[in-house]
Amino acid sequence: MIKAADSAADLVHGAGGDDHGAARSVVRVRVLRQDVAGGESYWERFEVSYEPNMNVISVLQKIAAQARSQDGRKVAPVAWDCNCLEEVCGSCTMLINGRTRMACSALVDRLQAESGDEIELRPMSKFPVVRDLVVDRRRLFRGLEKVKAWVPVEGSYDLGPGPRISPEEQEDAYPLSECMSCGCCLEACPQYTKVEAVRRDDESEADFEKRRKSAFDTGFVGAHAISQAVLFNAHPTGRMIADERMEALTRQGGIQMCGNAQNCVAVCPKRIPLTRSIARAGRAATVWALKKLFDR
Amino acid sequence: MSESSPSFLERHQFVIYRLFSLSGLIPVGAFLAVHLLTNASILAGDDGRTFQSRVDMIHSLGPLLVPVEWAFIFLPMLFHAAVGFVIIANGLPNVGSYAYVGNVRYTLQRATGMIAFAFIVWHIMQLHWLGKPFGGGKFDPHQAASTAATALQPTLTSILYTIGILSTVFHFSNGLWTLGITWGLWTSPAAMRRANVVSIVVGLGLAAAGLGALGGFRSLDVSKAREAEVWTEKQKRALSVPGGAVAPSPIPASTH
Repeated sequence: MIKAADSAADLVHGAGGDDHGAARSVVRVRVLRQDVAGGESYWERFEVSYEPNMNVISVLQKIAAQARSQDGRKVAPVAWDCNCLEEVCGSCTMLINGRTRMACSALVDRLQAESGDEIELRPMSKFPVVRDLVVDRRRLFRGLEKVKAWVPVEGSYDLGPGPRISPEEQEDAYPLSECMSCGCCLEACPQYTKVEAVRRDDESEADFEKRRKSAFDTGFVGAHAISQAVLFNAHPTGRMIADERMEALTRQGGIQMCGNAQNCVAVCPKRIPLTRSIARAGRAATVWALKKLFDR
Repeated sequence: MSESSPSFLERHQFVIYRLFSLSGLIPVGAFLAVHLLTNASILAGDDGRTFQSRVDMIHSLGPLLVPVEWAFIFLPMLFHAAVGFVIIANGLPNVGSYAYVGNVRYTLQRATGMIAFAFIVWHIMQLHWLGKPFGGGKFDPHQAASTAATALQPTLTSILYTIGILSTVFHFSNGLWTLGITWGLWTSPAAMRRANVVSIVVGLGLAAAGLGALGGFRSLDVSKAREAEVWTEKQKRALSVPGGAVAPSPIPASTH
């Protein structure tokens, strides 16, 4: 076991390349910081000691531990989100060297090999910044809520076992179920543009909530929600509210907003066939709209 | 933010965007194909006689041509352009950060759409009778080849036409591919790849037709074409307008 781990480490070293020997001892990072929601953003540079097999999270941990900028000033530690550290929870999405990805699976050796010495970290640009690299992804979850991305089983009595799902259907559905709501597809989507609602002084929390929700709903719902709608519309029990999902997908900000740039599928860390889902939802929307027109 | 009630465009966004998508193929795209292939008949090498007969066929609609043009060409095109500009305004191209082929095509689709719109407005003003009040409208359906060739002679015009034709054809053939995804005709990555090949072939074919026609007009011997037109005109007069053919020109045939 130890031997295998060693050789895996060697592999990573190999990928890093020895031409970066100079950068070996330290890792330089440039972080786009923001102290408060709605505040001014500014760049700050950090330098941490290099260790083999570091990822961006471990770099951020070191930054937090030393709480000093590159020029030695004492600064507040950089704030970021993370949880599972194995690319399944979707919470550590950020822009690393300008591209949306998971910080936990972004290895320092590879980043340095790709784009040189300094690593650039920015918060996602499509969601309001809460602080530093932490963003408010409420709209992402509103998208899932809008398309009812769940199987409706709530009830006052036992509904009994659900229908069987064939292995073929399972194989088709499984990749879609891997979605971890990381938001990479939304960050890379040129049609998904930032919606930032700011609470007014005279506004109650409930009123603001309502206004924010309707602001979210005017924008594009996003590839993740479309794919989840396809997943649950393919599920024998989930299908029971298929029409409600189609209704949601054809409302303002629905599937029609897709511009077919196909960035979503290119950046998805789970390699979910998002464009297939979008095309399937497009077909379903075509059929649904025709039914609505002729069957009423 | 959005406290006002949603606009008509917002309430019917799905239907409007789908009609937008459809209008790009039928009738606008279909017209583009017919238009470019008609023009390519200038390459027949008969001093524009074939081209003239195609033009005569179109103009055999007589006074009906005007409502047909508006209903099937101008209005759908204006609708497509208007919704297109709304779509462009709401998007945020990011090809600098994500230089994937699909994303480049997304950006080009918007760029070529705007170029195509500007080009088509100019093209109509230059050649179509609608442009006459503005000093354009140079195309005369009775002297189809010679007037078109004369208008296309300046080098700058040819360069702008080359850009305009290529933009329009790219916009159409790439749009054909995305339309298939939008309506759910091709859904799997493999099917999208196959459809992409078809779209590229259609695009290359139309580009060849369009640029071929442009080259054909530029290399046309205008005086010979004019002779051919005078001859055709005389024939028509002699036959006193057989059914379906174009009415004779009010210009005396001996002007040349």
